Amino acid sequence: MEADAQLVQRCLRGDGPAWEELVRRHTRRVYNLCYRFTSNSSEAEDLSQEVFLRIYRTLASYRTAYGGFPTWLTSVTRNLLVDHYRRSRRDRMTDALEDVLPVVEEKHSPVRTPDKAAIAQELSAQVQSALGKLSPELREAIILRDLQGLEYTEIQQVLSIPEGTVKSRINRGRIELARILQEMGVGPS
Amino acid sequence: MSWSCVQVEERLSDYLENSLSENEEREFRAHADSCSRCAPLVAQVSRMLGNLHALELEPVPPMLASKILDQTLGPRKAKRNWLSWVPVLWQPRFATGLVTVLATALIIFHATGGVKKSKLTLADFNPVNIIQSANSQAHLAFARGVKFVNDLRVVYEIQSRLQPATSGTPGQQAPSATPSQQKPPNESQQNRLTEGSFAEVAALVAYTRLRSAP
Repeated sequence: MEADAQLVQRCLRGDGPAWEELVRRHTRRVYNLCYRFTSNSSEAEDLSQEVFLRIYRTLASYRTAYGGFPTWLTSVTRNLLVDHYRRSRRDRMTDALEDVLPVVEEKHSPVRTPDKAAIAQELSAQVQSALGKLSPELREAIILRDLQGLEYTEIQQVLSIPEGTVKSRINRGRIELARILQEMGVGPS
Repeated sequence: MSWSCVQVEERLSDYLENSLSENEEREFRAHADSCSRCAPLVAQVSRMLGNLHALELEPVPPMLASKILDQTLGPRKAKRNWLSWVPVLWQPRFATGLVTVLATALIIFHATGGVKKSKLTLADFNPVNIIQSANSQAHLAFARGVKFVNDLRVVYEIQSRLQPATSGTPGQQAPSATPSQQKPPNESQQNRLTEGSFAEVAALVAYTRLRSAP
């Protein structure tokens, strides 16, 4: 498989198929990041499109020294999500409190079935709901580390904060998330 | 000196990610194993991390990549071959519909008596003829079905009439645990029963032949 950096170089020379390959390779990652932040598939889809549009326009500013294309992509996505969060928070200042908190979509059945996929889906919904109750700083740290699997140094680059702060946020986020899940009655699996 | 609850909480992620030194890990465990507050916390966070890491990525909306490419590269000429539709058709909602349509077409095809290539004329494509043909085929199929059910009923009747006449014989021949308790059947009664049953069966067979005669 061709490296991302080579694909970027080909994109900069105007190679359409190279861009198509980059998009197809990273769509799932970007979409999931957006979904975990917004808890809404429609918003996540729109934001993913925005992310790639921004990436396409600023591709020339990408440097391999930055720490790999996925890290840069995550960083751009995160910045856009922060903008989106601020924008939506401003828009919702007059809304009711329950509207401000991210709400998990009603796409998961509340009925437990013995099917493994259904159980995994329910757990995913519960985690998503619990993530929505975390503060944005802790939430993004947890998503990047435990759901996107980024290294501490990559998170440090994406969030532009010292490594000590990254570790502290992740640790606090995990404890807080476990407490919320406990309160929600999510037992051992 | 053993660690405090605050220290254990602060270094919990390091412990779970195996980033503590041997000495630190020993201190951590010494406190966590004996503290009624920290022990459940460690177990809880450890379990939650396992759940988080086991979570699968959410499925991406099917047209998302295409939308992104359309927005960036502009509307592209579709370069699909006929095989590219296979994954789309393989999805349950399309596959179910497709199978239903095919089954319906097959039923209609059979109901109209099929298409005979050698005798195919323009009139065969006339909707009126197709409907008339389907109608007559449907009536024919219904009549055949009714006849089949009636025949089946007669066969069952014959069987049930024959059963009392024939079932007595093996019962008598079968070895019994207490043969002395069984009374031998009245021979004349049995003969009368057999004769009567055969007469009824003969009448039924005659009746069936009359009915099935064109």
